[in-house]
Order: sequence, then C-alpha cells, then structure tokens
Amino acid sequence: MKPALFLVALIALVALLVPPLLPYDHISIDWDSVRVGLFSDGHLLGTDDLGRDRLARLLVGTRVTLSVALAAALVALVIGVAWGAIAGWVGGRVDEAMMRIVDGLYALPFMFVVILLMVVFGRSILLVFLGIGFVEWLTMARVVRGQVIALKQRPFILAAEAAGSPARATLWRHILPNVAGVAVAYLMLTVPHVVMIESFLSFLGLGVQEPLTSLGILVNEGAEEMDMNPAALLLPGGVLVLLIASLTVAGERFRDRLADAAK
Amino acid sequence: MGRLISRRLLTAIPTLLAIIILSFVLMRVAPGGPFDGERPLAPEVRAALEAAYGLDKSLPEQVWLYLTRLAQGDFGPSMVYRDFTVGGLIAEALPVSLLIGGCALVLASLLGISTGLWAALRAGKWQDEVLMLGATLLTALPTFVTGPLLALIFGLWLGWLPVSGQNDGWNWLVLPVIALALPVTGAVAKLARAGLAGELGSDHIRAARARGIAPLTILRRHALRPALVPVASYLGPAAAALLTGAVVIETVFGLPGLGRYFVQGALNRDYPLVLGVVTLYAGLIILFNLFADLIYGWLDPRMREG
Repeated sequence: MKPALFLVALIALVALLVPPLLPYDHISIDWDSVRVGLFSDGHLLGTDDLGRDRLARLLVGTRVTLSVALAAALVALVIGVAWGAIAGWVGGRVDEAMMRIVDGLYALPFMFVVILLMVVFGRSILLVFLGIGFVEWLTMARVVRGQVIALKQRPFILAAEAAGSPARATLWRHILPNVAGVAVAYLMLTVPHVVMIESFLSFLGLGVQEPLTSLGILVNEGAEEMDMNPAALLLPGGVLVLLIASLTVAGERFRDRLADAAK
Repeated sequence: MGRLISRRLLTAIPTLLAIIILSFVLMRVAPGGPFDGERPLAPEVRAALEAAYGLDKSLPEQVWLYLTRLAQGDFGPSMVYRDFTVGGLIAEALPVSLLIGGCALVLASLLGISTGLWAALRAGKWQDEVLMLGATLLTALPTFVTGPLLALIFGLWLGWLPVSGQNDGWNWLVLPVIALALPVTGAVAKLARAGLAGELGSDHIRAARARGIAPLTILRRHALRPALVPVASYLGPAAAALLTGAVVIETVFGLPGLGRYFVQGALNRDYPLVLGVVTLYAGLIILFNLFADLIYGWLDPRMREG
C-alpha cells in the first residue's frame, strides 16, 4: 500500500506544483517552435501541432483528471453513504425498497446514460463529475448498508439506546464513525474507476473540453499522431495507467487490511 | 429453473421500459435536433420532416408510439442515415460487435480463470504475488490506451496485423479482441484466485484431504465449482464492460459495430438510432445477468431459486 500511495502522491504533487514553474502554460502557443520533438527549444517534451508545450499539457491534464475523479468520487461517497446508512438503519420495507432500486440500477448500461447526459447538457466539467458520481454510488451504498446492519447488532449500540441516546445522535456519533473506514476504502477504489470513466468520456470527445485538457484528451490526440511521435501516446497513457494501477492497489490493500482487522 | 427464467424475463420489462423512457426524455430535452445542418431548412420543409417522423406530437404521445412500434419489433427509421431503418443498421452492426465481444469474453474467461487458479495453488509464493500484481495492472489498462498502443506496436512497427477495418480473413480480429479482453482477464484472474484460495482453506476440503483423496481429484471434484462462484457473479458486469469497451475499440480500429453508431447517433441527435442501440444494450445486459444467475445456480445449488 505504501509505495502505491507514495506514487499517487508524487504524481499529484508534481501535477499540482510544477506547472506554475514552467516557462510555458498549457494553452499559449509558441509560434517559433510548432511541433518540435523532445528536449528542443526549451520544451522538455516538445510541442504539439498547435505549438503548445507538451509537458505543461501533460501536467495540467493530470491535474484535471485527478480533480474530476476526486470530486466525482466525493459525490458518490455522499450519495452512497447516505443511501446505505438510511437503508441499513431503518431496515424493513424501506431497506427492501431502497436496495431493490440499487439492484435495478446495477442492471442498467450506465455508461450509455452518462454518454447521453454529456451529449444533452453541453459537456460542462461540473456535469462530468456530477454525472459520474451519480453512477458510481451503488457499490458504496451496498457496502455501507451491510456495515450499518452489522453494527446495529453490536452491544455498544444497544447500550447507547438504553442510555437514552436519540436515534439521530446514535447514527451520527456511533454508527457513521464506524462506517468511515470502509467508506474510505471504497472511496479509494472509486477514484481509479472514475479516472477511467472520465478519460473514456474525454477520449470520445464527450468529457472535458478544450482549452482545458485531460489525460483522456491527450491519449486521443496522441493516438492520432502515434506513427510520427509515439511519445505523444505513451506519456499520457503511461501516466494514466500508473495512476489507475497504483490507486487500485492502494485501495485494495487498505480494504483487505480493514477486513483482516475486523476478523 | 423455468420459473426463474420466466420471472426474470418479466421483471426485465419494467427495467427496459424505464431505460427507454429515460433515454427518450433525455434526448428530447437536449438542445439541437437531427435536422440542424449547416444551412437552415425552410420552415415548411422542416415542419413536413418533423411531421413525417412524428416529432410534432406531444412527448408522451411520441413515447407511446415508439413503444407500440417497438413491441412489434420495429425500431423505426434512422433520422440521419436517410433511407435506412434502425433495425437494418443494427442488424448489420450487431454481428460485428457480438463477434468481437464474444471472442474477448471467451479469451478473458479462459486466460483469467486458468491464471487465477494457478495463482491460488501457489498462494503466498512469489508466483502468486507476481501474477496478482500483473492482474491488477491489467485491470488498470483502459481500452483506449491499449488499443492504439497495440495498433502501434503490432500494426505499424512490426507490420504483423492490420490496424483498421475488416478484411476477408480473421486477423483483423486479433488486436481489437486482445485490447478488449485484457482488463476483463485481470478482473477474472483476481476473482478466480480469491475464490479458489478461500475454498482451499475451507473445512470440506480439509476433510477431503484427511480422507486421503488425491490433490488433483479434490481440486476437480470438490474445490473447482464453488471457487468459480465469484467469477460467475462477475459475468454481468463483465458483459457491460465489454460493451462499453467495444465503443472505444470500434472507434480506434474503425470497425462498423454498434458502439460507433451509438456515439455518432448521440452526436447527430439521431433519436431512433440511439434509442434502438440503448434498448439493445440494456436487453443484452439483462440477458447476461440472467445467464450469470443460471451459472451461479449450477455452481452453487444453495443459490437456486431463492
């Protein structure tokens, strides 16, 4: 878990801190050196066919992809925890109905609904993460519900109730803090998933729009000129794969550790 | 089993209706329409076109009209590809998509299950660690990265395989299928490993060992079936992943499948085409979930008919 998290932190820090230090930003055009190769004219990774600095675009794209993913995962976290906690806490018919809805939604080809949403509502970046967040909360809701049901039967909850703690206080003070670990583990697993969806949409031209850029857009651009300049595909693709892989490894290790601790 | 199938098919109807109505409404509230072109049409022409496609009616009326036609197997005409029906376009594109998706599913299952089982038998050893790290890496490979990359290496640099379009042979299939199968292979391998590793530690396996049954027989007769339960439950999501992955793969490799029609149709506001493809996808995914449940019941009799 540690090396994976370290890698993610490193990528995030570089993407966040380095762009202001570069002599070029991700949109300005260097007319004197359009489409130059690596290490030329002060552009470490060269420039694209519009003369924009590739390094700046790569870093800004990474930043955009990461922030969209984090925001969408937070949307999923809020909806999922609220839905799962209510269903697990209230129980009975309400639980049954709420979980049926989750089962039903699982069966839908959601990617297609998100694609439709993007086409319909003009592809704003806000909508990208709201839309993805609305799709990704289902697993979170299931996991949180299971956890809440397990917690409800524990003696300390009974003790709290016996001591006269109102339901709302029990939920806030005793249940939710104990759900937090699992929720964070699944949040960590949601982020790489969202990274994948965001870049998928951007690759199809339905996600983030120019002049902003994202790893998906850069991969798409890179794929078009890969025969002339393979680095244009390999660099953003490599960063993307590295990000998704290390986020997944970190999330899985964290989840397994929690499961072991629970035993 | 017959009861399970008929019940599941019945509950699929409201799900399908929900997704059709949702997509219908989403498409219609979108700004722009199928007849927006470079040159604005004369108002009379536009009105006539809209009347011909039933766009002048109220939204509920349009939905009802669409559903009654759909019930008779008529997907309606395409609004952008003139003179083509959506049914005709789908009939042309579906075999391509099914061929790619089917091959990828078979490849991913075979490769994933065998790798996962082998890793479970080596649980805790370095082979297990390496294979599982590899499987995680595979799941992290988006099709839109591997697709172009494979095309670059095996198509452009080595020149072994064609990079775009179909041909009379079979070799056009290789790269799209591999790119599509890779992430699913990783996921299947992880699930198969977790399934068998958990099973090998269970009491009935220990009992079988204590009775002196040969390890291979234990694996084949006692451990394998329950170990594959997690893999079976992944079949539904895998089908969904393959269908969405196919959208990218068909774009990257220039193949005339359903995914391209879907994206093009959504961008062109070709309402009937998008609706038709979405309906078909939803139906396929529902069928796959049913199929997964049947396999599930076969693997684990306790799961039958709950």
